[in-house]
Amino acid sequence: MAETAIEARTALRPLPLIQGAQDDGTLNKSLNAYVWQPPQRGWLALLLIGMAGTGMLFAAVTLTIAKGIGTWGNNIPVAWAFGIINFVWWIGIGHAGTLISAILLLFQQKWRTSINRFAEAMTLFAVMQAALFPVLHTGRPWFAVYWLFPYPSTNSIWPQFKSPLMWDVFAVSTYFITSLLFWYLGLIPDLAALRDSSTSRRARVAYGIFALGWRGSARHWHHYKIAYLLLAGLATPLVLSVHTIVSWDFALSILPGWHTTIFPPYFVAGAVFSGFAMVLTLMIPARRFMGLKHVVTPRHLEAMAKVMLCTGLVVDYGYLMEHFIAWYSGNPYEMHVFFFTRPLGPYAWAYYLQMFCNVVVPQMFWLKWARRNVWTLWVGSVLINVGMWFERFNIIVTSLHQDFIPSNWAMYYPTWVDLTLLGGTICFFGTLFLLFLKFLPAVAVSEVKELNHELHEGHAGVSLHTPPGPLHAGELEST
Amino acid sequence: MRRFVLGEFSEPAACVEAARKLREGGVQGLDAYSPYPLHGIDEALELPRSKVPLVAISGGVLGALGGYALQWWMNAVDWPLNIGNRPPHGFWTNIPITFESGVLICVLSIFFSSIFYFFALPRPYHPVFESERFRTASLDAFWISAETTDQEAVPELERKFREAGAHKVHTVAETV
Repeated sequence: MAETAIEARTALRPLPLIQGAQDDGTLNKSLNAYVWQPPQRGWLALLLIGMAGTGMLFAAVTLTIAKGIGTWGNNIPVAWAFGIINFVWWIGIGHAGTLISAILLLFQQKWRTSINRFAEAMTLFAVMQAALFPVLHTGRPWFAVYWLFPYPSTNSIWPQFKSPLMWDVFAVSTYFITSLLFWYLGLIPDLAALRDSSTSRRARVAYGIFALGWRGSARHWHHYKIAYLLLAGLATPLVLSVHTIVSWDFALSILPGWHTTIFPPYFVAGAVFSGFAMVLTLMIPARRFMGLKHVVTPRHLEAMAKVMLCTGLVVDYGYLMEHFIAWYSGNPYEMHVFFFTRPLGPYAWAYYLQMFCNVVVPQMFWLKWARRNVWTLWVGSVLINVGMWFERFNIIVTSLHQDFIPSNWAMYYPTWVDLTLLGGTICFFGTLFLLFLKFLPAVAVSEVKELNHELHEGHAGVSLHTPPGPLHAGELEST
Repeated sequence: MRRFVLGEFSEPAACVEAARKLREGGVQGLDAYSPYPLHGIDEALELPRSKVPLVAISGGVLGALGGYALQWWMNAVDWPLNIGNRPPHGFWTNIPITFESGVLICVLSIFFSSIFYFFALPRPYHPVFESERFRTASLDAFWISAETTDQEAVPELERKFREAGAHKVHTVAETV
């Protein structure tokens, strides 16, 4: 009986959120250490690669604008291809940042505190990459302004607000602005801390400008807490609306494989799934090289693995339902896509790759050792990112390449410009991220200090201290 | 010339308690400074309810109404668009942008009203920054300040701060 109680207690007692005995001073030092130390060689090497790739991206963008989207591989019948795949992939990646920073804040999940700043930065940079693709896809971006934004132009014509593509413009731009402001509001106290712990005048002035003169006044915190909570409350339905609207770009058409009502929840779950995978892909090396292991503990990694498993199962359910409804509808075109083109057609390899990465791989996170081992987590998260890219590839390309009239059917092949744009955005994203890690606090220092204080006071519902000695029989029942 | 009597505390609870004592002792123009929000400081300083939610709801409602009106006027009144013979004024198809513009204006009003009005930032200079030691307010210490224009009142305030438990007390004066 006593042993059962001890076992139960041990199983229930979570891993620590913050490791070691920390106070405000040590947290301040350790979390901002990376900003103050001279750049590491690895960081410089990665930055160089990132900047080279960004140069390639700008070359590919210039070529696209100069010569038109004829440089891309898409054409009738596959009129949407890499442009939209990459758009949906990047925007989906961004969603985990909002989920961590806003939804987990509302649910009072304390483990979000160490990773929210990091994830929000990922959101911002991912949305920047995403926004590039539809703009380029319009072919003549300088004209796109009057199709997309309601401003009084000399054409005296307005955008067509009944189109999901217009909703997308509003959703994505609102999402970007909200994420940016939420991120910046959270940064202000940390920028002030950087200003105040700086040793050079240059750093003090630079961080001082962005800290706006924040002095941590109680009269400011009083409004700040509410503003932060309200922004979180707004970001929550917003993030759901964004990927819902992205899915409507497809679902409101009549194309087999796109025209399904399950798309909104399935896209949102897929977005969170891929976003958490990206957070893990970036966080696992970052916590190692930036010395953040005491605030990003195995507890955080395990929690993220659980979210991936859960959202992965929702995505799997989406796959299952798509196939079931295609069969149940009796529609020959639907059945052709789901039971012939995708599993047996020329892109079947992409279909099986998607199924392997998104259905099989996340199942390993049922096992505790896989959730706690950084290698399985990292490899798993990279595979999930690949799988989610191929999911969008399958949705878009396989539905389009064999449409209603067999004489229209054609294969799609990306050109080197398509591939450079995809690779280039990955490099551009990486470059922005590396700069963020070096110049800004990658962990929300003030929030971690507050959490640390709460843990010591026992406000957070979990204690830092393990109970001394073995438990007595019946203790579990009495507590 | 404004003067600020500053007291430093190393524990958050002591800072909140001291703020309560000072306010109950009749000290005017009190403020507290901390690296993260202090539990109970709002009550200790008797801060009035924040008006941020009021700004947020007004911004949200105005944004949503504006977003809807924009679509209705543009697509149904100013330049009716006939797409597939659907009615120019489509209520349901206007909902997504109405929602997004409501959120957008709400977010913008929360952020900008907070920064410019509620925090009165950007404000790179503030008399409390005259104290080099005050740097710790954003790092690992907790401060209380009392503002006064009367130089005679300063020694009395400093005594009260010490009595409230501040381990370091000094006074700064505005220089610009």
